[in-house]
Amino acid sequence: MTTEELERDLEMLAAPREADELLRMAIRERVGEQMPVRRKRRQRPWIGVSWAGIAAAAIAAAVLAVGWPGGGSAGPSAADAAIVRHALQAMTAPANVIVHVKETGVQKGTPISVEWWQQTSPPHALRMIKKGVDQQGEAGNDGTTAYEYDAATNTVIETPSSSAPTLVDPIETVRDQLARGGAQVAGKATIDGTAVYKIELPTGAIAYFDTTDYRPTYIDNPQDDGSVVRTRVETYEELSTSPADEQLLSVTAQHPDARVHTRSAPVK
Amino acid sequence: MVVNALGETQAPRARDADPDVALVIAAREEPRRFLALYDRYFDRVLGYVRLRVRDEATCEDVTSVVFTTALAQIGRFRGDGSFAGWLFQIARNAVRDVHRRPTLEPLPLDATRFEPDAEERFLAHERAARLHAEIGLLRAEQQHLLALRYGAGLGFNEIGELVGASPGTVRVRMHRIIEELRRRYPHDD
Repeated sequence: MTTEELERDLEMLAAPREADELLRMAIRERVGEQMPVRRKRRQRPWIGVSWAGIAAAAIAAAVLAVGWPGGGSAGPSAADAAIVRHALQAMTAPANVIVHVKETGVQKGTPISVEWWQQTSPPHALRMIKKGVDQQGEAGNDGTTAYEYDAATNTVIETPSSSAPTLVDPIETVRDQLARGGAQVAGKATIDGTAVYKIELPTGAIAYFDTTDYRPTYIDNPQDDGSVVRTRVETYEELSTSPADEQLLSVTAQHPDARVHTRSAPVK
Repeated sequence: MVVNALGETQAPRARDADPDVALVIAAREEPRRFLALYDRYFDRVLGYVRLRVRDEATCEDVTSVVFTTALAQIGRFRGDGSFAGWLFQIARNAVRDVHRRPTLEPLPLDATRFEPDAEERFLAHERAARLHAEIGLLRAEQQHLLALRYGAGLGFNEIGELVGASPGTVRVRMHRIIEELRRRYPHDD
Protein backbone atom coordinates (compact mmCIF):
# COMPACT_ATOMS: atom_id res chain seq x y z
CA MET A 1 0.00 0.00 0.00
CA THR A 2 1.32 3.42 -0.88
CA THR A 3 1.35 6.40 1.42
CA GLU A 4 -1.18 8.09 -0.83
CA GLU A 5 -3.55 5.13 -0.57
CA LEU A 6 -3.26 5.09 3.19
CA GLU A 7 -3.85 8.82 3.40
CA ARG A 8 -6.91 8.43 1.20
CA ASP A 9 -8.29 5.74 3.49
CA LEU A 10 -7.64 7.89 6.55
CA GLU A 11 -9.47 10.78 5.01
CA MET A 12 -12.35 8.49 4.11
CA LEU A 13 -12.78 7.53 7.75
CA ALA A 14 -13.44 11.15 8.62
CA ALA A 15 -15.22 12.11 5.42
CA PRO A 16 -18.46 14.07 5.76
CA ARG A 17 -21.68 12.06 5.50
CA GLU A 18 -24.92 13.10 3.95
CA ALA A 19 -26.62 13.15 7.35
CA ASP A 20 -24.10 15.58 8.78
CA GLU A 21 -26.27 18.63 8.28
CA LEU A 22 -29.00 17.04 10.34
CA LEU A 23 -26.46 16.13 12.97
CA ARG A 24 -25.04 19.65 12.91
CA MET A 25 -28.47 21.09 13.58
CA ALA A 26 -29.31 18.53 16.26
CA ILE A 27 -26.14 19.21 18.23
CA ARG A 28 -26.59 22.93 17.64
CA GLU A 29 -29.95 22.68 19.35
CA ARG A 30 -28.47 20.73 22.20
CA VAL A 31 -25.73 23.32 22.67
CA GLY A 32 -28.40 26.01 22.59
CA GLU A 33 -30.30 24.27 25.33
CA GLN A 34 -27.20 24.37 27.53
CA MET A 35 -26.75 28.10 27.26
CA PRO A 36 -27.05 29.97 30.54
CA VAL A 37 -29.25 32.98 30.91
CA ARG A 38 -27.33 36.21 30.64
CA ARG A 39 -26.32 37.53 34.02
CA LYS A 40 -25.88 41.24 33.57
CA ARG A 41 -29.13 42.08 31.88
CA ARG A 42 -32.76 41.46 32.49
CA GLN A 43 -33.77 37.97 31.58
CA ARG A 44 -35.09 38.35 28.09
CA PRO A 45 -35.03 35.51 25.59
CA TRP A 46 -32.94 36.53 22.63
CA ILE A 47 -35.33 34.93 20.25
CA GLY A 48 -38.05 37.24 21.46
CA VAL A 49 -36.08 40.33 20.52
CA SER A 50 -36.29 41.73 17.04
CA TRP A 51 -33.09 42.19 15.10
CA ALA A 52 -33.93 45.83 14.80
CA GLY A 53 -33.95 46.16 18.57
CA ILE A 54 -30.64 44.38 18.93
CA ALA A 55 -29.13 46.45 16.18
CA ALA A 56 -30.25 49.76 17.61
CA ALA A 57 -28.78 49.00 21.00
CA ALA A 58 -25.61 47.59 19.55
CA ILE A 59 -25.07 50.51 17.21
CA ALA A 60 -25.22 52.89 20.12
CA ALA A 61 -22.72 50.78 22.04
CA ALA A 62 -20.47 50.49 19.02
CA VAL A 63 -20.36 54.19 18.34
CA LEU A 64 -19.55 54.91 21.95
CA ALA A 65 -17.10 52.14 22.67
CA VAL A 66 -15.11 51.22 19.62
CA GLY A 67 -11.60 52.46 19.09
CA TRP A 68 -11.16 53.50 15.48
CA PRO A 69 -7.67 53.74 14.01
CA GLY A 70 -6.60 57.24 13.27
CA GLY A 71 -9.59 58.62 15.03
CA GLY A 72 -7.93 59.46 18.32
CA SER A 73 -10.13 59.53 21.34
CA ALA A 74 -12.94 61.06 19.40
CA GLY A 75 -13.86 57.71 17.82
CA PRO A 76 -14.83 57.10 14.23
CA SER A 77 -15.74 59.82 11.85
CA ALA A 78 -19.41 60.54 11.58
CA ALA A 79 -19.32 59.40 7.97
CA ASP A 80 -17.78 56.03 8.81
CA ALA A 81 -20.17 55.50 11.70
CA ALA A 82 -23.05 56.24 9.37
CA ILE A 83 -21.79 53.70 6.83
CA VAL A 84 -21.62 50.99 9.48
CA ARG A 85 -25.04 51.97 10.77
CA HIS A 86 -26.61 51.87 7.32
CA ALA A 87 -24.95 48.56 6.48
CA LEU A 88 -26.24 47.03 9.68
CA GLN A 89 -29.73 48.36 9.10
CA ALA A 90 -29.73 46.98 5.57
CA MET A 91 -29.14 43.45 6.85
CA THR A 92 -31.31 43.64 9.95
CA ALA A 93 -34.78 42.31 9.29
CA PRO A 94 -37.85 43.18 11.32
CA ALA A 95 -39.94 40.63 13.18
CA ASN A 96 -42.51 38.51 11.41
CA VAL A 97 -40.78 38.19 8.07
CA ILE A 98 -38.74 35.49 6.38
CA VAL A 99 -35.12 36.27 5.62
CA HIS A 100 -33.78 34.75 2.44
CA VAL A 101 -30.01 34.68 1.99
CA LYS A 102 -27.98 33.04 -0.77
CA GLU A 103 -24.20 33.01 -0.74
CA THR A 104 -22.00 31.53 -3.44
CA GLY A 105 -18.27 31.17 -3.90
CA VAL A 106 -15.46 28.90 -4.96
CA GLN A 107 -13.41 26.81 -2.57
CA LYS A 108 -10.62 24.51 -3.63
CA GLY A 109 -11.76 25.06 -7.19
CA THR A 110 -15.25 23.85 -6.46
CA PRO A 111 -18.34 26.05 -6.53
CA ILE A 112 -19.97 26.28 -3.11
CA SER A 113 -23.22 27.81 -2.04
CA VAL A 114 -25.65 28.05 0.81
CA GLU A 115 -29.21 29.24 0.55
CA TRP A 116 -31.20 29.89 3.69
CA TRP A 117 -34.75 30.84 4.58
CA GLN A 118 -35.67 31.58 8.20
CA GLN A 119 -38.46 33.24 10.14
CA THR A 120 -37.36 36.23 12.18
CA SER A 121 -39.98 35.45 14.83
CA PRO A 122 -40.52 32.26 16.82
CA PRO A 123 -40.36 29.40 16.14
CA HIS A 124 -37.70 30.61 13.68
CA ALA A 125 -38.48 27.80 11.27
CA LEU A 126 -35.77 27.44 8.67
CA ARG A 127 -34.77 25.58 5.55
CA MET A 128 -31.32 25.53 4.00
CA ILE A 129 -29.65 24.14 0.92
CA LYS A 130 -25.91 23.67 1.06
CA LYS A 131 -23.55 22.72 -1.74
CA GLY A 132 -19.96 22.39 -0.60
CA VAL A 133 -16.65 20.87 -1.51
CA ASP A 134 -17.32 17.68 0.37
CA GLN A 135 -21.00 17.71 0.98
CA GLN A 136 -24.33 18.96 -0.17
CA GLY A 137 -27.79 18.64 1.16
CA GLU A 138 -31.04 20.20 2.18
CA ALA A 139 -32.34 20.37 5.72
CA GLY A 140 -34.90 22.21 7.77
CA ASN A 141 -36.42 22.61 11.19
CA ASP A 142 -39.84 23.92 12.15
CA GLY A 143 -39.26 24.00 15.89
CA THR A 144 -40.68 20.59 16.62
CA THR A 145 -39.23 18.46 13.84
CA ALA A 146 -35.94 18.45 11.96
CA TYR A 147 -36.02 17.51 8.29
CA GLU A 148 -33.35 16.27 5.95
CA TYR A 149 -33.82 15.59 2.27
CA ASP A 150 -31.98 12.64 0.75
CA ALA A 151 -31.90 13.35 -2.97
CA ALA A 152 -30.50 9.92 -3.81
CA THR A 153 -33.62 8.19 -2.58
CA ASN A 154 -36.02 11.13 -2.81
CA THR A 155 -36.74 10.74 0.89
CA VAL A 156 -37.45 13.32 3.57
CA ILE A 157 -36.15 12.10 6.90
CA GLU A 158 -38.01 13.51 9.89
CA THR A 159 -36.50 13.56 13.36
CA PRO A 160 -38.17 14.92 16.48
CA SER A 161 -36.58 18.16 17.59
CA SER A 162 -36.54 19.10 21.23
CA SER A 163 -36.22 22.83 20.77
CA ALA A 164 -36.74 25.55 18.21
CA PRO A 165 -33.77 26.69 16.13
CA THR A 166 -32.02 29.90 16.96
CA LEU A 167 -32.09 32.83 14.62
CA VAL A 168 -28.74 32.63 12.89
CA ASP A 169 -28.49 32.94 9.13
CA PRO A 170 -25.31 32.62 7.03
CA ILE A 171 -24.41 36.29 7.44
CA GLU A 172 -25.07 36.38 11.16
CA THR A 173 -21.37 36.72 11.92
CA VAL A 174 -21.11 39.84 9.76
CA ARG A 175 -24.22 41.28 11.36
CA ASP A 176 -22.89 40.49 14.80
CA GLN A 177 -19.51 42.05 14.15
CA LEU A 178 -21.06 45.23 12.80
CA ALA A 179 -23.39 45.45 15.76
CA ARG A 180 -20.75 44.88 18.40
CA GLY A 181 -18.33 47.48 17.18
CA GLY A 182 -14.77 47.05 16.08
CA ALA A 183 -15.70 47.02 12.42
CA GLN A 184 -13.63 49.52 10.48
CA VAL A 185 -14.56 51.23 7.25
CA ALA A 186 -11.57 50.79 4.95
CA GLY A 187 -12.75 52.86 2.03
CA LYS A 188 -14.48 52.11 -1.21
CA ALA A 189 -13.79 49.51 -3.87
CA THR A 190 -15.28 48.32 -7.12
CA ILE A 191 -16.09 44.63 -7.50
CA ASP A 192 -17.56 43.31 -10.72
CA GLY A 193 -18.47 46.85 -11.68
CA THR A 194 -20.31 47.56 -8.46
CA ALA A 195 -19.15 50.31 -6.13
CA VAL A 196 -18.94 48.97 -2.59
CA TYR A 197 -17.91 50.06 0.87
CA LYS A 198 -15.15 47.90 2.33
CA ILE A 199 -15.57 47.15 6.02
CA GLU A 200 -12.98 45.17 7.97
CA LEU A 201 -14.38 42.98 10.74
CA PRO A 202 -12.62 41.97 13.97
CA THR A 203 -12.75 38.32 12.89
CA GLY A 204 -10.39 39.13 10.02
CA ALA A 205 -13.11 38.89 7.41
CA ILE A 206 -13.88 41.77 5.09
CA ALA A 207 -17.45 42.57 4.13
CA TYR A 208 -18.46 44.70 1.16
CA PHE A 209 -21.68 46.67 0.94
CA ASP A 210 -23.33 48.28 -2.06
CA THR A 211 -22.84 52.04 -1.88
CA THR A 212 -26.35 52.71 -3.13
CA ASP A 213 -28.48 50.63 -0.78
CA TYR A 214 -25.90 49.25 1.70
CA ARG A 215 -26.90 45.65 1.01
CA PRO A 216 -24.14 43.09 1.65
CA THR A 217 -22.53 42.00 -1.61
CA TYR A 218 -19.31 40.09 -0.91
CA ILE A 219 -17.48 38.63 2.07
CA ASP A 220 -13.78 37.76 2.09
CA ASN A 221 -13.21 34.92 4.53
CA PRO A 222 -9.60 34.20 5.55
CA GLN A 223 -8.81 30.49 5.70
CA ASP A 224 -6.53 28.64 8.02
CA ASP A 225 -4.01 28.08 5.23
CA GLY A 226 -3.66 31.80 4.61
CA SER A 227 -5.83 31.90 1.53
CA VAL A 228 -9.01 33.94 1.26
CA VAL A 229 -12.33 32.59 0.02
CA ARG A 230 -14.60 35.25 -1.39
CA THR A 231 -18.31 34.56 -1.20
CA ARG A 232 -20.88 36.59 -3.04
CA VAL A 233 -24.10 37.45 -1.28
CA GLU A 234 -26.30 36.88 -4.28
CA THR A 235 -29.51 37.38 -2.37
CA TYR A 236 -30.45 39.13 0.82
CA GLU A 237 -34.16 39.83 0.98
CA GLU A 238 -37.02 39.91 3.41
CA LEU A 239 -40.10 37.95 2.41
CA SER A 240 -43.60 38.07 3.78
CA THR A 241 -45.09 35.27 5.80
CA SER A 242 -47.73 34.56 3.21
CA PRO A 243 -48.66 30.91 2.72
CA ALA A 244 -46.67 30.88 -0.51
CA ASP A 245 -43.55 32.23 1.16
CA GLU A 246 -43.95 29.93 4.14
CA GLN A 247 -43.75 27.01 1.75
CA LEU A 248 -40.12 28.00 1.27
CA LEU A 249 -39.49 27.01 4.90
CA SER A 250 -40.79 23.49 4.45
CA VAL A 251 -38.63 20.67 3.18
CA THR A 252 -41.65 18.47 2.61
CA ALA A 253 -43.45 21.21 0.70
CA GLN A 254 -40.47 21.56 -1.62
CA HIS A 255 -40.43 17.82 -2.26
CA PRO A 256 -44.10 16.87 -2.27
CA ASP A 257 -43.46 13.54 -4.00
CA ALA A 258 -40.74 12.42 -1.62
CA ARG A 259 -41.12 9.46 0.67
CA VAL A 260 -41.19 10.53 4.32
CA HIS A 261 -39.26 8.46 6.82
CA THR A 262 -39.52 9.17 10.55
CA ARG A 263 -36.76 8.21 12.89
CA SER A 264 -35.71 8.89 16.46
CA ALA A 265 -33.39 11.77 17.32
CA PRO A 266 -29.70 11.04 16.58
CA VAL A 267 -28.49 12.75 19.73
CA LYS A 268 -29.69 11.36 22.99
CA MET B 1 -11.59 47.75 23.51
CA VAL B 2 -11.82 44.31 25.02
CA VAL B 3 -10.58 42.57 21.89
CA ASN B 4 -7.40 44.60 21.90
CA ALA B 5 -6.88 44.07 25.59
CA LEU B 6 -6.81 40.32 25.19
CA GLY B 7 -4.75 40.62 22.05
CA GLU B 8 -2.10 42.67 23.82
CA THR B 9 -1.54 39.97 26.38
CA GLN B 10 -0.65 37.61 23.56
CA ALA B 11 1.15 39.99 21.26
CA PRO B 12 4.79 38.86 21.49
CA ARG B 13 4.39 35.75 19.37
CA ALA B 14 2.81 35.55 15.98
CA ARG B 15 1.28 32.18 16.80
CA ASP B 16 -0.89 33.89 19.36
CA ALA B 17 -2.79 35.90 16.78
CA ASP B 18 -5.81 33.73 17.41
CA PRO B 19 -8.43 34.33 14.72
CA ASP B 20 -11.13 33.23 17.15
CA VAL B 21 -10.43 35.70 19.90
CA ALA B 22 -13.24 38.09 18.98
CA LEU B 23 -15.75 35.26 18.84
CA VAL B 24 -14.56 33.89 22.18
CA ILE B 25 -15.00 37.27 23.83
CA ALA B 26 -18.42 37.64 22.25
CA ALA B 27 -19.41 34.17 23.49
CA ARG B 28 -18.37 35.04 27.01
CA GLU B 29 -20.51 38.13 26.97
CA GLU B 30 -23.45 36.53 25.22
CA PRO B 31 -23.53 32.70 25.26
CA ARG B 32 -25.60 32.57 22.08
CA ARG B 33 -22.56 33.87 20.22
CA PHE B 34 -20.87 30.56 20.96
CA LEU B 35 -22.84 29.21 18.02
CA ALA B 36 -20.52 31.06 15.66
CA LEU B 37 -17.61 29.09 17.10
CA TYR B 38 -19.71 25.95 16.88
CA ASP B 39 -20.37 26.56 13.20
CA ARG B 40 -16.71 27.23 12.55
CA TYR B 41 -15.46 24.06 14.20
CA PHE B 42 -18.23 21.50 13.88
CA ASP B 43 -16.86 19.78 10.77
CA ARG B 44 -13.31 19.65 12.07
CA VAL B 45 -14.24 18.33 15.48
CA LEU B 46 -16.54 15.71 13.99
CA GLY B 47 -13.79 14.65 11.59
CA TYR B 48 -11.30 14.45 14.45
CA VAL B 49 -13.64 12.25 16.45
CA ARG B 50 -14.49 10.03 13.48
CA LEU B 51 -10.88 9.21 12.93
CA ARG B 52 -10.50 8.06 16.52
CA VAL B 53 -13.89 6.50 17.26
CA ARG B 54 -15.33 3.79 15.10
CA ASP B 55 -18.97 3.77 16.10
CA GLU B 56 -20.92 6.54 14.41
CA ALA B 57 -23.46 6.99 17.21
CA THR B 58 -20.61 7.36 19.68
CA CYS B 59 -18.97 9.90 17.37
CA GLU B 60 -22.14 11.96 17.47
CA ASP B 61 -22.33 11.80 21.23
CA VAL B 62 -18.67 12.71 21.66
CA THR B 63 -18.98 15.65 19.29
CA SER B 64 -21.96 16.87 21.25
CA VAL B 65 -20.05 16.51 24.51
CA VAL B 66 -17.11 18.47 23.10
CA PHE B 67 -19.21 21.50 22.29
CA THR B 68 -21.40 21.46 25.38
CA THR B 69 -18.26 21.17 27.48
CA ALA B 70 -16.60 24.01 25.60
CA LEU B 71 -19.67 26.17 26.12
CA ALA B 72 -19.77 25.41 29.83
CA GLN B 73 -16.05 26.02 30.27
CA ILE B 74 -15.43 28.93 27.95
CA GLY B 75 -15.23 31.30 30.89
CA ARG B 76 -12.12 29.42 31.97
CA PHE B 77 -10.39 29.76 28.62
CA ARG B 78 -7.63 32.28 29.29
CA GLY B 79 -6.25 32.75 25.83
CA ASP B 80 -2.82 31.39 26.75
CA GLY B 81 -3.04 29.28 23.63
CA SER B 82 -5.44 29.27 20.72
CA PHE B 83 -9.10 28.49 21.05
CA ALA B 84 -8.65 25.72 18.50
CA GLY B 85 -5.96 24.11 20.63
CA TRP B 86 -8.18 24.34 23.68
CA LEU B 87 -11.15 22.89 21.82
CA PHE B 88 -9.20 19.97 20.39
CA GLN B 89 -7.82 19.23 23.84
CA ILE B 90 -11.41 18.90 25.02
CA ALA B 91 -12.05 16.61 22.07
CA ARG B 92 -8.98 14.59 22.91
CA ASN B 93 -10.15 14.16 26.50
CA ALA B 94 -13.65 13.23 25.41
CA VAL B 95 -12.28 10.54 23.09
CA ARG B 96 -10.06 9.27 25.86
CA ASP B 97 -13.06 8.96 28.15
CA VAL B 98 -14.87 6.92 25.52
CA HIS B 99 -11.92 4.62 25.01
CA ARG B 100 -11.82 3.99 28.73
CA ARG B 101 -15.38 2.72 28.69
CA PRO B 102 -15.87 -0.92 27.83
CA THR B 103 -18.24 -0.91 24.88
CA LEU B 104 -19.59 -3.18 22.23
CA GLU B 105 -19.22 -1.42 18.93
CA PRO B 106 -22.05 -2.04 16.49
CA LEU B 107 -21.50 -2.17 12.77
CA PRO B 108 -20.94 1.34 11.41
CA LEU B 109 -23.68 1.05 8.83
CA ASP B 110 -23.96 4.78 8.36
CA ALA B 111 -20.36 4.98 7.26
CA THR B 112 -21.02 3.02 4.14
CA ARG B 113 -24.71 3.29 3.48
CA PHE B 114 -24.25 5.29 0.30
CA GLU B 115 -21.92 2.83 -1.36
CA PRO B 116 -23.40 1.40 -4.54
CA ASP B 117 -23.78 -2.25 -3.67
CA ALA B 118 -23.69 -4.69 -0.81
CA GLU B 119 -20.32 -6.26 -1.62
CA GLU B 120 -18.61 -2.91 -1.81
CA ARG B 121 -20.32 -1.90 1.41
CA PHE B 122 -19.01 -4.99 3.11
CA LEU B 123 -15.48 -4.47 1.82
CA ALA B 124 -15.52 -0.82 2.77
CA HIS B 125 -16.76 -1.72 6.21
CA GLU B 126 -14.05 -4.32 6.67
CA ARG B 127 -11.41 -1.91 5.48
CA ALA B 128 -12.60 0.87 7.76
CA ALA B 129 -12.78 -1.50 10.71
CA ARG B 130 -9.25 -2.72 10.06
CA LEU B 131 -7.87 0.77 9.77
CA HIS B 132 -9.64 1.90 12.92
CA ALA B 133 -8.21 -1.10 14.73
CA GLU B 134 -4.71 -0.22 13.57
CA ILE B 135 -5.15 3.40 14.61
CA GLY B 136 -6.24 2.16 18.01
CA LEU B 137 -2.90 0.44 18.43
CA LEU B 138 -0.98 3.69 18.04
CA ARG B 139 0.06 5.64 21.09
CA ALA B 140 -2.48 8.22 22.24
CA GLU B 141 -0.25 11.11 21.15
CA GLN B 142 0.12 9.57 17.71
CA GLN B 143 -3.63 9.10 17.42
CA HIS B 144 -4.13 12.72 18.39
CA LEU B 145 -1.72 13.96 15.72
CA LEU B 146 -3.19 11.67 13.10
CA ALA B 147 -6.73 12.84 13.87
CA LEU B 148 -5.72 16.50 13.78
CA ARG B 149 -4.19 15.97 10.35
CA TYR B 150 -6.58 13.57 8.62
CA GLY B 151 -9.71 14.00 10.70
CA ALA B 152 -9.76 17.73 11.41
CA GLY B 153 -7.85 18.46 8.22
CA LEU B 154 -5.33 20.79 9.87
CA GLY B 155 -2.02 21.74 8.29
CA PHE B 156 1.39 21.13 9.81
CA ASN B 157 1.64 24.76 10.91
CA GLU B 158 -1.69 24.61 12.70
CA ILE B 159 -0.92 21.30 14.36
CA GLY B 160 2.44 22.65 15.43
CA GLU B 161 0.75 25.56 17.15
CA LEU B 162 -1.68 23.26 18.91
CA VAL B 163 0.89 20.80 20.21
CA GLY B 164 3.73 23.25 20.77
CA ALA B 165 6.09 21.91 18.12
CA SER B 166 7.56 23.31 14.94
CA PRO B 167 5.85 22.45 11.65
CA GLY B 168 8.95 20.52 10.63
CA THR B 169 8.82 18.42 13.78
CA VAL B 170 5.14 17.71 13.21
CA ARG B 171 5.88 16.70 9.63
CA VAL B 172 8.56 14.25 10.76
CA ARG B 173 6.34 12.78 13.46
CA MET B 174 3.50 12.40 11.01
CA HIS B 175 5.75 10.67 8.53
CA ARG B 176 6.75 8.14 11.17
CA ILE B 177 3.14 7.53 12.13
CA ILE B 178 2.11 7.00 8.53
CA GLU B 179 5.01 4.64 7.92
CA GLU B 180 4.14 2.67 11.04
CA LEU B 181 0.52 2.42 9.95
CA ARG B 182 1.46 1.59 6.39
CA ARG B 183 3.57 -1.35 7.47
CA ARG B 184 0.76 -2.82 9.53
CA TYR B 185 -2.20 -1.98 7.35
CA PRO B 186 -2.13 -4.07 4.19
CA HIS B 187 -3.88 -3.35 0.97
CA ASP B 188 -7.22 -5.11 0.77
CA ASP B 189 -6.30 -7.54 -1.96
